Amino acid sequence: MGAPIRPVTSTPARRAWWLPAGLFALPLLAALALALGAALDAAAWRRLLDDPALWPALSLGAWVGAAATVVSLALTLWIVTHLHGSRAWARLERWLGALLAVPHAAFAVGLALLLMPSGLLLRLFAPLAGWESPPALATVQDPFGLALIAGLVGKEVPFLLWNVAAQLRPVAQATQLRQQLQAGQAMGYPAASVWWRVLWPQLMPRLSLPLLAVWAYGVSVVDMALVLGPTRPPTLAQLAWSWLLDADAAVNAQGAAASLLIALLVAAGALAAMLLARVLRVPLRARQLHGDRPAASRTAALVRPLLGAGALVYVAVLALLAFVSVASVWSFPALWPQRVSLEAWMAVRDSLPVLADTAVLALAASLTGVVLAVAWMETAPPAWDRRAAPLVFAPMLIPGVLLVAGLYQVALRLRLDGSLAGLWLAHSLFSAPYALVALAPAYRGFDARYEQTARALGRSRAAFLLRIKWPMLLPPLAAATAVGFAVSVAQYLSTQFVGAGRHATVTTEALTLASGGQRTLLAAFALLQALLPAMAFGAAWWIARRQARRLGTEG
Amino acid sequence: MTPALTRRRLIAAGALAPWLPAVNAASAATSAWADTLRAARGQTVYFNAWAGSERVNAYLQWVAGEVATRHGIKLEHVKLGDTAELVKRVRAEKQAGRSQDGSADMGWINGENFLTLKREGLLFGPFAESLPNFALVDVAGKPTTRIDFSEPVEGFEAAWGMAQFTFYGDGKRVPRPPKRLAELLDFAKQNPGRFTYPKPPNFHGTTFLKQVLLEAAPERQPFYTPAPADPGELLAPLWRTLETLHPLLWRQGKQFPASNAVMRQMLADGELFITLTFNPNEAANEIAAKRLPESVVSWQHAGGTIGNTHFLAIPFNARAKQGAQVVIDFLQSPLAQSRKADIRHWGDPTVLAVDRLPAADRALFAQGSAPGTVAQAAPVLPEPHASWVEVIEREWARRFGQ
Repeated sequence: MGAPIRPVTSTPARRAWWLPAGLFALPLLAALALALGAALDAAAWRRLLDDPALWPALSLGAWVGAAATVVSLALTLWIVTHLHGSRAWARLERWLGALLAVPHAAFAVGLALLLMPSGLLLRLFAPLAGWESPPALATVQDPFGLALIAGLVGKEVPFLLWNVAAQLRPVAQATQLRQQLQAGQAMGYPAASVWWRVLWPQLMPRLSLPLLAVWAYGVSVVDMALVLGPTRPPTLAQLAWSWLLDADAAVNAQGAAASLLIALLVAAGALAAMLLARVLRVPLRARQLHGDRPAASRTAALVRPLLGAGALVYVAVLALLAFVSVASVWSFPALWPQRVSLEAWMAVRDSLPVLADTAVLALAASLTGVVLAVAWMETAPPAWDRRAAPLVFAPMLIPGVLLVAGLYQVALRLRLDGSLAGLWLAHSLFSAPYALVALAPAYRGFDARYEQTARALGRSRAAFLLRIKWPMLLPPLAAATAVGFAVSVAQYLSTQFVGAGRHATVTTEALTLASGGQRTLLAAFALLQALLPAMAFGAAWWIARRQARRLGTEG
Repeated sequence: MTPALTRRRLIAAGALAPWLPAVNAASAATSAWADTLRAARGQTVYFNAWAGSERVNAYLQWVAGEVATRHGIKLEHVKLGDTAELVKRVRAEKQAGRSQDGSADMGWINGENFLTLKREGLLFGPFAESLPNFALVDVAGKPTTRIDFSEPVEGFEAAWGMAQFTFYGDGKRVPRPPKRLAELLDFAKQNPGRFTYPKPPNFHGTTFLKQVLLEAAPERQPFYTPAPADPGELLAPLWRTLETLHPLLWRQGKQFPASNAVMRQMLADGELFITLTFNPNEAANEIAAKRLPESVVSWQHAGGTIGNTHFLAIPFNARAKQGAQVVIDFLQSPLAQSRKADIRHWGDPTVLAVDRLPAADRALFAQGSAPGTVAQAAPVLPEPHASWVEVIEREWARRFGQ
């Protein structure tokens, strides 16, 4: 057949490729410029650099982010290597959405309830140890940030696994993977060796963005650090947050400078990782071609117990949140609360109307994000696709507080503050990059031969998209929508500032109540916060399963 | 009684009973207030208030219902996690040239936030002393209703509730509550790791430092004037006391909790034996809400503890300035103040001079004693001059912050 292989690039739709990018980039660039303007104040930098709290906080933040990233990556690689292709993997894949839906803050609170000196674990030990009051052990908020790292790892491993699964799910990828595994095994390598020597070197570059997101999150996380992290020194992100929220304008500027410093740290870390990868490429390739045939790894037997333990932690975290939400007085070392009350759930009931508002806003924002992502991938010339990457990931990498400050200025100037339109814009900006990251592997991995065939059969491009490509890509589209939805639901600062506090969501309700430190309320609202994303991920999973059933491809 | 107060009372009387023969000034004020009431009808008032307590939120819901039926005002509680959000928003609006149609119509503030808003010209006013119910405020007995952290209020905010530094703990763990600094140190020696304070610059943490300072210093007078360039000598007793106290604190003073809310939970769990608060009724409220056992008791240091007032203010660019004033006046009424002081609803002490109210209004405040309240109220110590706060916080951070 003589059909042209290269995609046609001169249709009107293709020429408008800058439109989705512009819709996304204009407000974002304006926000960035305003935010950077605030962060480039010389006096603020002097104050920051003179602050004795800076260096200890900076090193702690870098340590926490790096340790969480390295441990999460190592666990992810290890789990996939030894589990992929098994029934256990299929089961794990099914549950990943649910794990992702648990908000970071809720997970941190639940983990603290498990680990802290007055937490469940030490209560179980209390009769043996003879403790009448919680022991003086730094099981959370330890000076090295270990509890915080553990919390981050608990949330990031499912995120990375989910990304690996998304990379491997497209039919072409899965086929190639199977063939390479079979070829390797035919040559006498155990499957794990094939993963380490052949598959991971191919997959790792595609995991770099999710990894960057994990690293950036670890360095800039505030909500988890408030619950699990040390206070003396705190991480730099916590300091920046408290400065940015201070009433004093000079302290605010210092916070903006600190946020920029965090962004620089993120960039420096990413650069260092890239250099390291380049340096390691040669020795890794040499190892790839080595003729040895190593024995199957013995650590493989540990994967399932570890996953079991991980699952148990998640169950315990959620169960503890539910339990504590009704335990109004629960003093150590009792295993059962002295007083049970449903008061927190009454407050939840009063807040139920915001559930619908939150869902509508999140749906609008996530659909906008997915539409933008699809429009971009359908129309952008490949060169621009690469060039635009830093901008797309800016909202993921720049500390949210700083970006929100800029975005709020934009909204003020456009008189969009306090309006639903402004909120929709802000939430869409935050959801879009996540939607793109979630969607890109499947979308770009879509077999080009379908298009050639359709065009050869005389179908228009629109017909091809509407009747073939998008229906076939419905599961990843739904998954990307779910991710964007969860991002929107989790927005706090952007909702409060751009919305002028007038549009409550489950997250603003949860976090404003959390400022009062009532644990029953905290727990009940954390569960409420998890509910909407869980429903979104559930819907995405259901769509994927329905399609798999229809196509008869379910294992 | 001062003549000024008498005149204000007359204004109040005029507002309540316009048919009485009245002084000219009073009737002018009355008609001005009538204009305000008329303009307020139909307005939507966005009340930006910290929302960390569902009881406070419920109280504001009740207020919204009352002002809707009484004055035709729609009151919307804009829930804040941190009042500084309001300060930042009003400041940003001013910078963006939004001198009217602002997003906030009234806010719940005091101390640093008030100082910032006032100095940056972000407040509407003066208005507070021309509200009818201002006449009922106990400005003589509660001087902090007109001086907010050493800053003269000058009518730019209206007193809403009273606060006094208070300790509480489970009577089973603390059978003899320490009533002075030296006794608190003794308690910490006998119960190492069971007391701490929130990490300054947290509001409660800094207040604890000020309380220690006022108790440890040989004389208090210097702290009511601006801090000198070299305050080393004056602050020495504070640091000496902290050096002794810190090794006896929770985690040997190497970590500090983030807030007194965290400490309250640690007390409820049994991890701490004593915690601190600014609301003398906090323990009683928590007992009433079934979140603390009934054996919890509250106390204040016998030599006096730091007290202050929290206020209501109107941003300079508020859209519903009349509506906000009407709501604020209602919030200062005996009805609203007594409900707020009621431990079943909120338990926030009133700013009114209850003993001078008419008998019917006074009766609203009559409550039986509830478990957990302060048995013996101590005198109120005024806040040290505001300039000390930064000096103390900076030096604390240098000595203990990292």
